[in-house]
Amino acid sequence: MKNATFKALAQVIDWVLRHRVPVLAAIVGFTAVMGYLAAQIEVKTVFSDLLPRNHPYVEVNNQFKQTFGGSNMVSIMLEVEQGDVFNMTVLSKVRQITQELQKVEGVDTYQIASLASKKMKEVRASTEGIESRPLMWPGLPKDAAEIATLREAVLNNPLVYGPYVSIDMRATLITADFIDGAVDYVKAYRQIEEIAGRAKGDGVLVRVVGEPILYGLVNHYLGETLQIFMVTVGALVVLLLLITRTWHGTALPLVTGVVSAIWALGAAKLMHFHLDPLVIVVAFLITAQAISNSVQLISRFDDEVAAGASSAAAAARASLLNLFKPGMLAIVADAGCVLVVALTPIPMLEKISYIGTVWILSIMLSAMVLTPVLLSWCGVRKRHAHPINVQPLLHKVLGLCAALVTSKLRFAVVIGAGVAFVVSGLYAFNLKVGDANPGSPILWPDSTYNQDATAINHKFQGSDRMFVVVSGKKEGALKEPAVLEGMERFQKYMEAQPEVGGSISLADILPAVKRVVREGNARYQELGGSADENGELVYMFVSGADPGDMDRFADPQAKNGAVTLFFRDHQGETIRTAIARVKEYVANNKLADAEFLLAGGLVGVLAAVNEVILAGQIESIAFALLVLVACCMFTYRSTVAGMFFMVPVLLSNTLTFSYMAWKGIGMNINTLPVVALGIGLGVDYSFYIVDGIREELHHHKDVGRAIAKSIATSGKGVLITALTLVTSVVLWSFSSLRLQADMGVLIAIWLFISAASALFLMPAMVYVFRPEFIVGSKRHPVEQAIQVEPAQAV
Amino acid sequence: MLKAINKLGPVARGLSATGTSSLPVLIIGGLLYAAFFVKAEPSIGNLDAHPLERRDAFYSVAAPGGAVLWAAGSYGKIVRSEDGGKSWAVQDTPVVAHLQSISAWDARRAVAVGNRGVAVVTDDGGKTWKEVKVPRSEVANKLLQVRTYPDGVAWAVGEVGAVLKSTDYGATWERVQAEKDQAWNDIFFVGRAGWMVGEFGQIQRSTDAGQTWVSVASPVKNSLMSVYFRDADNGVAVGLAGTVLVSSDGGASWKEAPPLTREHLNCVIWDGSHWVAVGDKGIRVTSDEAGKDWKAARISDKDLSWRTQIVKTADDFVLAGANLAVLHQDELRILGRE
Repeated sequence: MKNATFKALAQVIDWVLRHRVPVLAAIVGFTAVMGYLAAQIEVKTVFSDLLPRNHPYVEVNNQFKQTFGGSNMVSIMLEVEQGDVFNMTVLSKVRQITQELQKVEGVDTYQIASLASKKMKEVRASTEGIESRPLMWPGLPKDAAEIATLREAVLNNPLVYGPYVSIDMRATLITADFIDGAVDYVKAYRQIEEIAGRAKGDGVLVRVVGEPILYGLVNHYLGETLQIFMVTVGALVVLLLLITRTWHGTALPLVTGVVSAIWALGAAKLMHFHLDPLVIVVAFLITAQAISNSVQLISRFDDEVAAGASSAAAAARASLLNLFKPGMLAIVADAGCVLVVALTPIPMLEKISYIGTVWILSIMLSAMVLTPVLLSWCGVRKRHAHPINVQPLLHKVLGLCAALVTSKLRFAVVIGAGVAFVVSGLYAFNLKVGDANPGSPILWPDSTYNQDATAINHKFQGSDRMFVVVSGKKEGALKEPAVLEGMERFQKYMEAQPEVGGSISLADILPAVKRVVREGNARYQELGGSADENGELVYMFVSGADPGDMDRFADPQAKNGAVTLFFRDHQGETIRTAIARVKEYVANNKLADAEFLLAGGLVGVLAAVNEVILAGQIESIAFALLVLVACCMFTYRSTVAGMFFMVPVLLSNTLTFSYMAWKGIGMNINTLPVVALGIGLGVDYSFYIVDGIREELHHHKDVGRAIAKSIATSGKGVLITALTLVTSVVLWSFSSLRLQADMGVLIAIWLFISAASALFLMPAMVYVFRPEFIVGSKRHPVEQAIQVEPAQAV
Repeated sequence: MLKAINKLGPVARGLSATGTSSLPVLIIGGLLYAAFFVKAEPSIGNLDAHPLERRDAFYSVAAPGGAVLWAAGSYGKIVRSEDGGKSWAVQDTPVVAHLQSISAWDARRAVAVGNRGVAVVTDDGGKTWKEVKVPRSEVANKLLQVRTYPDGVAWAVGEVGAVLKSTDYGATWERVQAEKDQAWNDIFFVGRAGWMVGEFGQIQRSTDAGQTWVSVASPVKNSLMSVYFRDADNGVAVGLAGTVLVSSDGGASWKEAPPLTREHLNCVIWDGSHWVAVGDKGIRVTSDEAGKDWKAARISDKDLSWRTQIVKTADDFVLAGANLAVLHQDELRILGRE
């Protein structure tokens, strides 16, 4: 560091340490206020937060979800162990569930459909014309004969037999849609779970799936998540105590972490953000940064004390002075990398990015100010908290590192990293965007929810829906034969995809009505030949029906209609193929009076998310690298420095992506927050090591010796942090939520790569390439320090 | 390494410095380019539609002999099998109207008719289907049935009393009866004797190869969908609501069989030893030679599809309707569902 800057910084530090009591009081007071705010932060999932803003699919979804069914669909399947569903036990259960669903909070009472709902109708000819009456509403069948009639009616109705009663007649479905915004996932989950629980038994299996249930489950496990969080912190304490053998070495990193967390959550509350339970892992990620910075300072403090510092304050001052530059660089670079994530147009990512940025910036105060201030109160006498000493082991490991990177093997390290980068970079192309497996990636494959989802998708056409809007250019456009035929042929085209279990639209309703009009003659199960005839068919279907029965197919003006496609899974590939096929069909089959609009329902909005996230992630990586390069260039006044510190970041990203590809973890809306915030994580340990080398070179010109020294000092902090964090993060794998376990592993990988590149790769690269900004050159030699004690230099 | 570069001189050193300095710019630029301009497109080219799709309705099937089968259905779709229904190939047709009926003179020549009065013919096994002109009505033109007979003769019937005849393998058609507000659903010939059935239980017969037709008293008012004679005397007609009529005097008089089912019956044939009729919800009605001992049952408990035609091949029956199916020794196999 330039001597002038060095002196100015020393004065600031001296001032802070002189006024340590007011400084501490200010921090405590501020923390208390933020703590009060943080305590009020809401923990909940808001699905609409996950959807990309201004994406055309999301706009179509928002415009039409009220009528055509949004992304909050819950499906309940009743399955019999023996016989079929046409018996009183099952039918009365269906009716009971249908009635009880009406009372669930946030449910759209017009969008509950089952055998027992009023909107499930049978259309038939009678002496007075066309009659459309509910299948099983308001009352249940009274006797075996009526059950037989119901059975016949169901089997004859393609809108029921298939979609609501399985082809083998052993299962029946009840669906309910929830109103966006009004739905409270926790309450919905609990109430539906209760309803399903009551209906279980008597040889009937009840299975429940749907996004509200999924997110309700996540919230349901919130308690467990917090427990794991606490246990992780506990493990951290134990490990820190074991390794550092001092109370301050244990407590201070934790204080730093807690203070930062409180400030960040308080700030989040001030910004009116809420916390998503799925991203609690992210909290750990950032806390890890706070702890690592603090540990560096403490480790340095201990070294200063061991080297014979006169007082605790002097030791604290010296450590901060020496570590200020790499510490600030790490914090600012990290914060910048997290901030660029906000460019991805997904509201939740934006929120997390802002919270994360504040959180990381708060480390400046919590680690760079609070830690040294508190350290200045610690005694200089060496007292051990326990007799177990792992320090020699650490030193051995660090000695090995130093020996390795200064030996011939350094070339092997650099080449090995290069190979790892190329191989993992190529393998990373296998990364799946969207869900990589059927079922929800949030939960374990053998979880009840995922098993239920498999069972339902096996029995029925598929529980995940996408609607494509057929938007007419004028009122009544949907009655035009060309439009209806276009819809039917579109459905046929889409159904060729194996994952599309079926589809439904107005073009399916009218042929059934026409067949009824024509004495039930199968040869007349077809669309009307003119707009007038189709209009009559529509009229016959809705006459006597409730207003709203028609809504899920078309609006009353027959201007906008929907083709609803049922999907057996929502894997990324399934959705992409479907969307590409829709686009291909629409491009090749233009309609004169209407156009197809993509896409609503769960699959529609997931398509939007998937389209955005990969580009968003690559964009974030690019901007994160830009931030990093800018920070390094500014700090070291060297473009090469930017390149140098990009290496661990690139490596950690390609390795993470490869791991995700290998383990089948898709890049989706749930993994994205962690993946995105982790972009810049590979590098901050390296700052400490490389800066240590550079600072050491101010005192002599032996690069090898400087590397060994830096690894022995800064490296110790790196090793301690990595060991404790990686070990504690492993605890996440016991989570009931697979996502958290996966993300825990990802964080462990980042920390490991970060530590490994700091301890092996960066020193080896310094030794091999001898970059000018570290070792200097003939023209720009490293400025030799005026003695260690600045006081003597005056 | 730096030493090595130093030895190379200032030019090399400059180059290496520029290289390392511009690398970050290149990497970041490349990533940004990828983010904004590279779109991952899934490969959808390999998703070929199955020749028999879930949504296809096949109203009719023809078995001109050997293992050849032809089926026609919704949106002008015609498929052909050369192996008794194991595999199918879609044939191009110039029409998009639903084809209600297909009939073949032999493995090369066939005709299909359908909605809006469309008729298509082929004389090369279906490699090319050609639309031909048929006399149209101002009111409605749906043709419901076509049957072929030796020497290029074909008869087609349909809405608004359409009775059309061709004698040149379907190339030209002429109207045989005047329009009237009643549809004919089927027509059948044995030699010079012919029969037609239609709406409101209407029956007509001809004894001069279709030149003149006379109405026959019908015991029912239900629409009759299908008629078949195993010889010039013995015939059966079936219709809506399970109607079965039997004649043993060449169609001069008809007797209603006791009703066994309320399901519509759409097609009846003589399979060489039994009368077999099929219809809605997977129903099959059978009888002995005399047309007296009728039985009704579903072909398969698991199948409730409607059927509009049944034909007999050497060993099997082939069924058309909501799906195509092969019935082999009473075991039903729905095609295109595996």
